[in-house]
Amino acid sequence: MIAIQVNSLSKAYGFYRIFEDLSFDIHPGECFALFGPNGAGKTTLLRILATLQTPSSGQFTIFGQDGVAQKDAVRETIMLIAHGSHLYDELSATENLQFALGLRGQSPSPPQMKRALDRTGIGAFTDLKIRQFSAGMKKRLDLAKVILSQPQLLLLDEPYNALDHSGVALTNQLIQETLDRGGTVFMTTHDRDKATQIATRGGILQGGHLQLISTEQLTTDAIF
Amino acid sequence: MPFFKTIRWVVWKDLISEWRTRETMSSMLFFALIVILVFSFSFSMDQDAARQLIAGIIWVAFTFTGIIGLGKSFTSELQNDCLESLQMSPVPKGAIYLGKVTANFLFMLSVEILLFPLFVLFFNLDVIEAVGTLLIIFFLATLGLSAVGTLFSALTVQIRAREVMLPVLLLPLAVPVMIAAVEATRGALNGDPFSFYSQWIHLLVIFDIIFTVVSFWLFEFILDS
Repeated sequence: MIAIQVNSLSKAYGFYRIFEDLSFDIHPGECFALFGPNGAGKTTLLRILATLQTPSSGQFTIFGQDGVAQKDAVRETIMLIAHGSHLYDELSATENLQFALGLRGQSPSPPQMKRALDRTGIGAFTDLKIRQFSAGMKKRLDLAKVILSQPQLLLLDEPYNALDHSGVALTNQLIQETLDRGGTVFMTTHDRDKATQIATRGGILQGGHLQLISTEQLTTDAIF
Repeated sequence: MPFFKTIRWVVWKDLISEWRTRETMSSMLFFALIVILVFSFSFSMDQDAARQLIAGIIWVAFTFTGIIGLGKSFTSELQNDCLESLQMSPVPKGAIYLGKVTANFLFMLSVEILLFPLFVLFFNLDVIEAVGTLLIIFFLATLGLSAVGTLFSALTVQIRAREVMLPVLLLPLAVPVMIAAVEATRGALNGDPFSFYSQWIHLLVIFDIIFTVVSFWLFEFILDS
């Protein structure tokens, strides 16, 4: 089954067309990196795939489920790590994990949460409230959610922002683990060097159109 | 059952956040105290007039205090884009709505229970025999206000002028609840026989059912829009 199937997808705000007639497929086990200049519509496309926005026209399916008509089924398979951390400032790291995973119908045990937090390097801050976390620590807590949730489709919006060298390595490690267990990753990024270390395929969104690039082309300077 | 677990998670999260900040409750209490003091001084020369109007004063104070709490219910979800995670969660959205209603109801009812003794004190009310009935009225009217208020809080949260739009949209719909609550409270405070004002309590029950069912059904569309 195809993980993401996009067919003639367009998005416009009023008369302003963000992108039009996008069509592409992404298969399980693939990591797709979407590049493009600011304002090209990368995040808009990601938010549509995350079921947070609806396309102006066209269709898309996630693991065979229609992204507009079967949102609830799609949402069971995806996890979005976006600019906003989706974390509550007044809750601690473990409380945030409990709440986020509770809303996904999961209930990780305290040792499981501790292991995930240790792995992301914030195991010493389990009881610290999020308002005392730095941007990088919040990002690492998001990664802990991925470790515990193990989504089928991981959607990442600028995943390397705010992360130090070890955070970037951990992100790519988790992406690789997702791919190894047959999951799929779709990311938007400006950071070509870091993304090309892990991406298996990619695309450049520019001027409302998507140019697909192969694994070999990802490492070719001429294409960018 | 994921439905009831979701309700429990949302209530837990809202209560724990409020317990740590006391942001909503303190704003609500501060506003209500000012209302009580202002009305108390306005009617200090005429206690009879005050007793005639006290039911209305109580519900004006409770409703506007409640609106402060309802306004904060979803604005807290804008922090770190948490609203997105609620939208994306693969759980019945009605469960999220009921969790929010429960949390709002608990905040509003707690404030009302804390404030009512001040009304008794400042307006010299004799409420010993009516306490049970008044608690039922407070419970039903607060449930109605939080049921419809939670929906409008979600509806206005993404609007720039949400602080203005919430009362503008909510109050016309809350008027029937307020009228029924005022009439029932007046009857209870006057010591009237229950049968004299029971129709207003029945009306509150009907409004609660209608508001909760309709809002429960509409919430998913509002959260996803």
